[in-house]
Amino acid sequence: MPDKPVRVTKTPKSLELAITNRCNLRCTYCSHFSSEGDTGEDLPLERWLSFFEELNQCAVMDVSIQGGEPFIRQDLTEIIDGIVKNRMRFSILTNGTLITDEMASFIKSTGRCDQIQVSIDGSTSEIHDTCRGKGNFLKSVDGLEILRKNGIPVTVRVTIHRHNVFDLENIAKFLLEDLNLPGFSTNSASYIGLCRQYAKEIQLTHEERYFAMTTLLKLSRKYNGRITGDAGPLSEVSMWMEMEAARKKRMKNLSGRGCLKGCRGVFNKIGVRSDGQMVPCIQMPHIALGQINHERLITVWQQHPALNELRRRMSISLDTFDFCKNCPYIAYCTGNCPALAYTITGMENHPSPDACLRKYLEEGGKLPDDGV
Amino acid sequence: MDNKPIINRSIVFREEFDEWAILFYPDMGTSFGLNPVSVFIWKHLDGEHTVNDILIKLRKQCEDTPDDAINHIEGFVGKLIDHGFAGYEHHA
Ligand code: SF4
Ligand code: SF4
Repeated sequence: MPDKPVRVTKTPKSLELAITNRCNLRCTYCSHFSSEGDTGEDLPLERWLSFFEELNQCAVMDVSIQGGEPFIRQDLTEIIDGIVKNRMRFSILTNGTLITDEMASFIKSTGRCDQIQVSIDGSTSEIHDTCRGKGNFLKSVDGLEILRKNGIPVTVRVTIHRHNVFDLENIAKFLLEDLNLPGFSTNSASYIGLCRQYAKEIQLTHEERYFAMTTLLKLSRKYNGRITGDAGPLSEVSMWMEMEAARKKRMKNLSGRGCLKGCRGVFNKIGVRSDGQMVPCIQMPHIALGQINHERLITVWQQHPALNELRRRMSISLDTFDFCKNCPYIAYCTGNCPALAYTITGMENHPSPDACLRKYLEEGGKLPDDGV
Repeated sequence: MDNKPIINRSIVFREEFDEWAILFYPDMGTSFGLNPVSVFIWKHLDGEHTVNDILIKLRKQCEDTPDDAINHIEGFVGKLIDHGFAGYEHHA
């Protein structure tokens, strides 16, 4: 049976808003600070507020407030007030170091915060601070505790890299047992933004990737699924093991695979860079779709050729790429994230080499045994 | 029966291309999926129509409206009111 086409919503349900390009830290694998969207210009409050009125008319349900570091903006409370006034909920991505009790209590009082995600990458200062800078582990953990004390739903994101990969068991213990968090999510330093400059020192080697996959599988079983992977080794290992199992069973295909189907974001959300340019995703800042308050969101969403081309990407079959020629995984693969495909190959309409199972195996990478 | 229900103005009503819609209550974070008939009813919860008025309009719109449609409309409106998506205006 052919896969059902993914339907585009009339207007985006969610938006990712990079409300600032500034940050008090310079983490070595940050996806910012060397991309097209990093213009150094922050949009003034009034421009955001009038855009929020448009989001209200478009019946947008929630926004993810991102940066840079969102808490660096002195007018963050006014920005949040604008979001609340225009009938939306919000979440925030933060490094956690600038959170105050006063701010946390304000956020709680809005009743609209779905969650705040704090980045914590180690079980000790020594490990966390390697890439994030001295003194920041304690500040981030403090920030996290302030949020929890104020009753705000929090989650932690652990970005895995060469300096913390062997600390994963301690990290899980620290976050899930010592801090007693309900869960945390993982990804890994990927070839995007600042990380491209430090790729060799930061990105996992194939052996480290294998170690991360096995360890995370074990830990996610030990902690009953409280560890999740939106990207990085934990999400890769489940996808890759499924692909390998399908190949071994000689399955004809896996549903939703065989084409560039790795990104569904463009069907229900859109991003805005800190300079006000709409973009398909904050990770694809090079595709400028139009300036907020100048171009209408609904027109960009429904009619912009670049956005519609990204949606059509879903129907590009993997067997049309030289890169995938004779690959035994074609019918089980999605080609993964277009943003990563772009930073590595210069093309969105290409499978991401970083998430290519065949390449990983050919270069000596291993998959964990089924029974890890 | 004489009451004229009215929507809660803080509810977000998202119409989609296929005439279905989503109601979203931002204060609670809850949402409801609406089929095209429910969308029709929602659009008439303007404080000007009773449930009976809505039924009459619905019958005009769709010829095959079932006999017990009034129960469905009352049930649906009741559910919306219970969840805070609609209510009745109080006049002092
Ligand atoms: S070559 Fe890589 S990206 Fe292409 S189908 Fe095979 S595993 Fe997927
Ligand atoms: S481009 Fe990549 S990061 Fe962005 S929504 Fe798509 S898959 Fe996710």
